[in-house]
Amino acid sequence: MNEYIRICDVEKYYGNASHVTKAVDRVSFTVDRGEFVGVMGASGSGKTTLLNLLATIDRVTAGHIFYENTDITELRENDLSEFRKKNLGFVFQEYNLLDILTLEENIMLALTLQGEKKKEIQRKCQEILELLGIDGIRNQYPYQVSGGQKQRCACARAMVNRPKLLLADEPTGALDSHSAQTLLETFGRLNTEVGATILMVTHDAFSASYCGRILFLKDGKIFHELVRGEKSRRQFLQEILDVLSLTGGELTDAF
Amino acid sequence: MLSKLSLRNMKRSARDYMIYLLTMTIVVALMYAFNSLIFQNELASYFELVDLMAVMIGMATVFIVLIVAWLINYMVRFILEKRSREFGIYLLLGMKKKTVSRLYMRENVLLGSFAFLLGLLTGILLQQALLAIMFAMLGLSYQLHISLNPWTLLMTALCYMGCYLLALLRCKGKFRKMSISGLMNAQRQNQEIKEKHEPAKRIFFPVSIVFIALFWIWFGHLENAGEIVLFLLGLVAVIYLFYVGVSAWLICYVRKKGEGVYRGQNLFLFRQFASKVRTMQFTFGTLTALFTLALMGTSISFMFNDYENTVLQGKFPFDVQVYSSDVADDFADERTVIGQYEQDDTYHTYHIYTDGKNRVNGWILTHLEAWGTMYQNPDGTPDWPEIEKMLGERITYYQYDTYMLLSDYNALRRMLGYEEKALGPDEYIFQVKPRLLAEVREAGLELKLEGLAQEPLACKEIVGDPFSQDGHNGADYLVVVPDAALAGLKPYYAEMAVQLSGKASPGLQKELDGLVQEEDDFSLYPSGELCSGSDNIVTYAAVNLVRENLIPEVKYMLSSIVIPLFYIGLVFVCVAVTVLSVQQLSDSAKYRFRYEVLSKLGMGKGERSRLILKQMAVYYLCPAILAILISGKMILYMSEQFVVMTGVPTASGWFFLESILLFFSIYLVYFVVTYVSFKRNVQGDVP
Repeated sequence: MNEYIRICDVEKYYGNASHVTKAVDRVSFTVDRGEFVGVMGASGSGKTTLLNLLATIDRVTAGHIFYENTDITELRENDLSEFRKKNLGFVFQEYNLLDILTLEENIMLALTLQGEKKKEIQRKCQEILELLGIDGIRNQYPYQVSGGQKQRCACARAMVNRPKLLLADEPTGALDSHSAQTLLETFGRLNTEVGATILMVTHDAFSASYCGRILFLKDGKIFHELVRGEKSRRQFLQEILDVLSLTGGELTDAF
Repeated sequence: MLSKLSLRNMKRSARDYMIYLLTMTIVVALMYAFNSLIFQNELASYFELVDLMAVMIGMATVFIVLIVAWLINYMVRFILEKRSREFGIYLLLGMKKKTVSRLYMRENVLLGSFAFLLGLLTGILLQQALLAIMFAMLGLSYQLHISLNPWTLLMTALCYMGCYLLALLRCKGKFRKMSISGLMNAQRQNQEIKEKHEPAKRIFFPVSIVFIALFWIWFGHLENAGEIVLFLLGLVAVIYLFYVGVSAWLICYVRKKGEGVYRGQNLFLFRQFASKVRTMQFTFGTLTALFTLALMGTSISFMFNDYENTVLQGKFPFDVQVYSSDVADDFADERTVIGQYEQDDTYHTYHIYTDGKNRVNGWILTHLEAWGTMYQNPDGTPDWPEIEKMLGERITYYQYDTYMLLSDYNALRRMLGYEEKALGPDEYIFQVKPRLLAEVREAGLELKLEGLAQEPLACKEIVGDPFSQDGHNGADYLVVVPDAALAGLKPYYAEMAVQLSGKASPGLQKELDGLVQEEDDFSLYPSGELCSGSDNIVTYAAVNLVRENLIPEVKYMLSSIVIPLFYIGLVFVCVAVTVLSVQQLSDSAKYRFRYEVLSKLGMGKGERSRLILKQMAVYYLCPAILAILISGKMILYMSEQFVVMTGVPTASGWFFLESILLFFSIYLVYFVVTYVSFKRNVQGDVP
């Protein structure tokens, strides 16, 4: 097994002495290179907290997170942002594009912050714009394009540096079903064609069915795991729905 | 319930818009302090011109009320826009528009009253400081006593209310026109970046730069009022178009993907700045205009202040000096008046002579910087018909050349404690005002005076000691000749100079002036005979000069220019920089999001702090630098003229430098306060 990312006994507590909330409670799992992993769970199950811990935006209370041989829980503030810049890409529900930049510039910014050369920036930008099919609207501002296009741009920005891990937090949350499908297909292509490692948090079974493996989270703990294997997407979706119905909730959210 | 709500909202506004509150407090404090000068009774006993200060401060107050009203109006509209969602919710809950509008107005009045009270307290202290400074400037002693003058309070309250009334009247209609959805969406609307015809608008940037460059080259050479007005209109246009140009130019640069865009955080910085300038271009223009006016006001204020400190003392070297157009005057009456107070003073009565020609006047009119080429023929020789016409019509110079005998000259020099001078039979001394010394020496006085003695007299020395040459010992100059030359001269007018053993009594000047009234009641200034020379801007020519009485009087007169201009300058800078700061701070939420994104893209905290500093520095410096560029030429030109015309020994650039320093120290305070709270708002707990 090629253990690319290792999460060991990670805990995250919120609150004070009198009232402690365990958002993430002793979670351990691994992600292999080139895997497309989904994390599912109801609201408040701790899935976003887990993602934030992986994303180095939040710090663990206990436990370790290894990216290959680097333990990010041991890194200092400045090293963390450097690590983030070099290794991670983000896609969020609310796009997080800068309103003052055009789509192309939003992608460029990620590259200029890395200190890349002009030629290199132009080449990479062109490549990713074409790959994600937003070449035609490169000079538009975020407010001028649809949600799906915005999200694809966010995706392009996240991927343009070829990060070790692409983190996606409810990426389809604000999209209509057609745009959501297009985006998920994009994720699939990034995963298979470019070999991107993706970790996606979602509470939507349809989105999750695009993943290769799904971790189910409840009250901060992993309580189930599904692997797609050779199954068709439809079969996999059915399995996911079965798991969800077992937990007794979230079924309405599935459609 | 409503009053509770408005009180709570007011508290929140006071916290969110602390800078605004701070400025309103400062404005009230300044208003109170400066208004108190109008109702200042202690000075009235000293000075005749006490009304002048009241008039000047009154005029300044008009400008200040207008500009503060603009600030309030701007802020009221601005806060309304920022809180439109909240007001939309009030309406949605079923409040009437009228109630909401009243709620909002009440909040503003509460905030205003709060600032007024704070300002009043500060103002009472500031007033004492101001009076102490003012008295020190006038050379009087001041006893601190904290008190609240009811008239000052009333006037300050009225001015302040006037500001609010003007501002709120203009805002009243705003609510009536708004719909719920309009209010709810008002915030979303102004986030869109409108880009149209950028390549065309880009041209304004180089055009403005070229205009400012031309302005620097040509401003000194403008000849008539029409051209000046045209240029000033151009400047106003440039102030506004510059910002349109800058943002368009930046946008085009980014679009074209120039080299700079690919370096580090530049892309973010350029876009950020361009979009800020684009949304605020009109406000930026107005702020630049305010900064320009403030810089000019304080510079002029510094000029006059400098004059007071450096030149004024030398203007009246003798304790008392009396002029009489009657050459037979023995000054017996004046002696009696002075003798009432002073027993053992030294005095000297003498004549100023003339030869009935104007060779020296002609030389002066063709060689001094103040006259340029006005009295020269195209080939550089004196234009005699023009010179004679000028001398006959204007009271700048005496109609004929003015001479003094060496014995009189040395007697006066002894009184002033200068060393005595000697002359050969064919020599003369050219005694000029201190400010003309360098100029005359440089011009080289080759003039030979014939017909006075047996041989033509040549200039032995040019002397520039302070010598009361504003009409008494000649105007601008005196030719000091050996006593033997008396044969060629006849008395022009009579003079008496007195050095008192003690201080002059406060009423001496008035009493001496009273004598003149009795003697010849037609005028204090005998027609065309008391001439003050080429001094300009500040001239004080009078038949009787009593130094102890005059210096505070002239200082007071000058203070009535210095103080109001300073007042205007301070208020304008504060108002303008407040708008900048409030704009910046209220956008914190938007910026917070942007910096969060940058953080997620891997920009470290230190890097982000530096970026915030860079971004704010550009934002604050842009209007300031444009204002400095525009006001710079005018101020430098004015101060050059001021130096030439009044003879202050200061380098002309110094006044400008002083006001820039003052300007930036106020600016820096606001900048630091804004930077600290902005950084806290934006970075908060983001890692």
